[in-house]
Amino acid sequence: MSLKKRFTAGSCFSYIYLAVLCVMAIFPLIWLVVSAFKSSGEMLANPTKILPVDWTLENFKTVLFTLRFTVNIKNSLIIALATTVIATVISALAAYGIIRFFPKLGNIMTKILITSYMFPSIMLVIPYAVVMRNIHLTNTRTGLVLVYMSFSVPYAVWMLVGFFKTVPIGIEEAARIDGANRIQVFTKVVLPLVRPGIVSTAIYVFINAWNEFLYAMLLVSSSSKTTLSVAVRTLEGADILNWGSMMAASALVVLPSIFFFILIQNKLAGGLTEGSVK
Amino acid sequence: MKKLASAVLLLLMSISLVFAGGSAETSQAADGELSGTITFWHSFTQGKRMEAIQAAAEEFMAMHPGVTINIETMAWGDFNTKWNAGLTTGDLPDMSTAQNTGEVAEMLNVGVLHPVDSVIDAIGRDRFSANALGDMTVGGVVYGIPYYSHAQVMWYREDLLAAAGLEVPQTWDEFYDAAVALTKDGVYGAAVSLSPNDLLGTRYLNYYVRSAGGSLLNDDLTANLTSTEAIEGIKFWVKVYENCSPAETINYTVNDHATLYYQGITAFDFNSGFMIDGVRNNRPDLLPEVSCAMLPRMNEDDPLYSAEATHIPLVIWENSEHPEICEAFIEYLYEESNYIDFLSAVPVGMLPAISGISETEAYRSNEIVQQFAEEEAVIAQAVDMGRAIGFEHGPSAQAGLLANQGIIEEMFQDIIMNGTPVEEAAAAAEAELNEIFATMVQ
Amino acid sequence: MRYNFKGKSSIQGSSLTRWFFVGPAMLVVICLLIYPLCSTVFYSFTDKTMIRSSYNFTGFENYQRILTDSGFWSSFVNSLIWTVFGVLGQIIIGFIGALCLNRIKSPVMRNVFRITAIIPWAFPSIATAMVWKWLLNGIYGFVPVSLQNLGLSEGLVQFFSDPDLVLPSLIFINIWYGFPLIMVNVYAALQTIPQDQYEAAQIDGASALQSFIHITVPHIRTVVGLLVVLRTVWIFNNFDLIYMITGGGPAGASSTMPIYIYDTGWTGRMVGRASTASVLLLLFLVILCVLYFKVINHWEKEDVK
Repeated sequence: MSLKKRFTAGSCFSYIYLAVLCVMAIFPLIWLVVSAFKSSGEMLANPTKILPVDWTLENFKTVLFTLRFTVNIKNSLIIALATTVIATVISALAAYGIIRFFPKLGNIMTKILITSYMFPSIMLVIPYAVVMRNIHLTNTRTGLVLVYMSFSVPYAVWMLVGFFKTVPIGIEEAARIDGANRIQVFTKVVLPLVRPGIVSTAIYVFINAWNEFLYAMLLVSSSSKTTLSVAVRTLEGADILNWGSMMAASALVVLPSIFFFILIQNKLAGGLTEGSVK
Repeated sequence: MKKLASAVLLLLMSISLVFAGGSAETSQAADGELSGTITFWHSFTQGKRMEAIQAAAEEFMAMHPGVTINIETMAWGDFNTKWNAGLTTGDLPDMSTAQNTGEVAEMLNVGVLHPVDSVIDAIGRDRFSANALGDMTVGGVVYGIPYYSHAQVMWYREDLLAAAGLEVPQTWDEFYDAAVALTKDGVYGAAVSLSPNDLLGTRYLNYYVRSAGGSLLNDDLTANLTSTEAIEGIKFWVKVYENCSPAETINYTVNDHATLYYQGITAFDFNSGFMIDGVRNNRPDLLPEVSCAMLPRMNEDDPLYSAEATHIPLVIWENSEHPEICEAFIEYLYEESNYIDFLSAVPVGMLPAISGISETEAYRSNEIVQQFAEEEAVIAQAVDMGRAIGFEHGPSAQAGLLANQGIIEEMFQDIIMNGTPVEEAAAAAEAELNEIFATMVQ
Repeated sequence: MRYNFKGKSSIQGSSLTRWFFVGPAMLVVICLLIYPLCSTVFYSFTDKTMIRSSYNFTGFENYQRILTDSGFWSSFVNSLIWTVFGVLGQIIIGFIGALCLNRIKSPVMRNVFRITAIIPWAFPSIATAMVWKWLLNGIYGFVPVSLQNLGLSEGLVQFFSDPDLVLPSLIFINIWYGFPLIMVNVYAALQTIPQDQYEAAQIDGASALQSFIHITVPHIRTVVGLLVVLRTVWIFNNFDLIYMITGGGPAGASSTMPIYIYDTGWTGRMVGRASTASVLLLLFLVILCVLYFKVINHWEKEDVK
């Protein structure tokens, strides 16, 4: 009896808490998307009114066709994807290497990696600017991807070490006996086992690369190469603001991310848990 | 361990080899036809101005098949940071705009500009105003080509003044009284925006100090925030902030600030003709109520004055491999039809920097130019009489630094937020500015 | 025919294979992290500016100046407040969210809640900044105007210009953005706890609180510990949100260490002095994380037992 009561009170609270949380979470999104359909005049004349009187697609048209945000969307995608693929490959190799070949040194290696994850990007950006100049990669997407390794690789190695730890060495030994070489063991035996971990790590890397702002703002100047976040920022810094376009542009930054998140939300959950809880 | 070292070394070397091979070379064809690639940075990130320049560039490239013009736009507020970073990264353009005249002086201070006298002569030296060219001349050499001009005037809302039975203020005291009277029912008299990431505090203080006949710089180009006029000015704007401005503007930048007037939240504002386009874009219904006058004075019988006129310049960078292309392209931009196309992107906001344009049929046919003819005349007068902030002592890097380091804005914030006495805060800001001048001016 | 796995690996010239695995990551660390670190430390002893190529060694002058600069210390204190409350808020809100999610029996509702609640996480910082700047605007923002209309506040609440409110407002936005990550991960960890342990505890007459302390906490504390480390570093170093919303103002009331470094190095162009501040910031972070890892290692050892 009392048990049941406790449970209902508990789940009642749970529903209320989550409902409040969800309203808080979704309200800014709704507000942003709806505002993007308002004419600029309406938005400024009555900022507290949520729903537009006249729905208009004008803002989206301006942003996509006049301001060519499609180019920025493409840039963000290319940069984030390239970062994800390269960083995940490098990190998977490193995480496996650390676990299997450097059991003692490995601990120090991960510590160094974690320490380097702490470097504030604001500190790194000036030296990077110099490095990029010396290797002629200033103002290129390649350069930006390279710089993104600095925060992606340490993080991904750290995460992946946890996953690779869970692979029993016996399986690998068996494969070796069957004549597979090291690299074959890695690709054919180990990788499939840690695939969920790799996927969720890759997703985190992608999200961080997609959202990155500081390096993208300071290291790339060509508008044909800038990322979506910087493009929105540039709009905001225009000397004649058009709030309608701003809202539409922001909506365009957010909506793809949200679809992506919903698509992969099952994978998101894995994240840190599977790796660290054994 | 040795193996580790050599493997790392090998990788490093191979990587640097891969990256080292990439510098492209272009050359001028033998027959004198222009050929090469130039990069053009500008901060016209939105709308028709960007399109007008893009269109001109495309036509120019069609006329000169060997030429490629890469146009890069960046946010106004990040522009200064961008080229400063470029000094470190080497990522600099061949030609660019500058935010204002003061910035040209800063660029010159670092020695990155290419002389442009030949372009000036090609366009017609006598077509530019002497003031505008003077602002960009150092040692008898011109380093910037005024692209368009604008000047700071006082904007007001005719309907609000009429409803309150007020005249257009002529003096600062009248302005203050009117602004206080209009601060009611969700409308604020005037916004005083003081974000250190922008220059509005400096701009406002400069109005007041100039109207009193003073200057924010001494003759020896040190900062002067402790003169009687400056102290009075600081107190005046603090008073306006406290009694007629929305509290939040203490941390507003130019854009946040201007939006308030576009929205009809502020009754007065100080800005150039860009105001018209802002209101038209955002609140077209308010457009008929918008008008402007010369800046308020100390006393009604003081002569009219102009505190700040800016000639947005085009500059060519010293590192450019193809200054000849930049020159040719700039001359092309000033060809009458191209130039008028560009100016009409922000009618009345961008006034022609050369004579012989504003009288043309094409220029005058613009609807906004016709509707705001009186305002245009006021702004044109302010352009003629004004210089850039701090340029009353001639062009100097100090004048640029005065405005873009946010020191004066921080001083205002400190006075308002922390209650620091005005004299004390002003002396501290003055010392800080002087230290920056000493460090940065070469 | 059984052969020695370990022996084989060392015989087969496998040291090259070993480096094939860890080499690229080492390279990233050396090129992208060690070099900048060295150059930052180097510049921290010079008067280098962004606009001049020449510079002089100034010894500890920068350190002396920074450590006596009240702006630095107020940014440091702000950084601490911003980090501690940001991390705590994200963890508490997210953690309770995960516990609640675990309670929801209906799979449909659970999914609805879960998907809705991760939305803020999908907001790139520029969008987060934009939206909240509008919603909390002290002149025409939705929240202050609504509060006033509902009679909950006298006048418009000044979220971004009241020096006492600006940092809390930013922390709120940061919590809004960050709680989903905690929630999702803690929820996943909760699900790895075998249900029979709770049932056994119930049979033994343990209260809900007791089973929470003795079953739930030990299972998820490593995850939470890791999350705390990750979030601490991320929030401490976060630059975008504050830069885009208040730029550190008014009067430095929301300036944190990264903003201070940006203002010194990029706006003020004093690369040397900004490097000094960076070095000090990094030192602080390293000390902090060493402490964290001591605790987590301790937990991990306990878990093994």
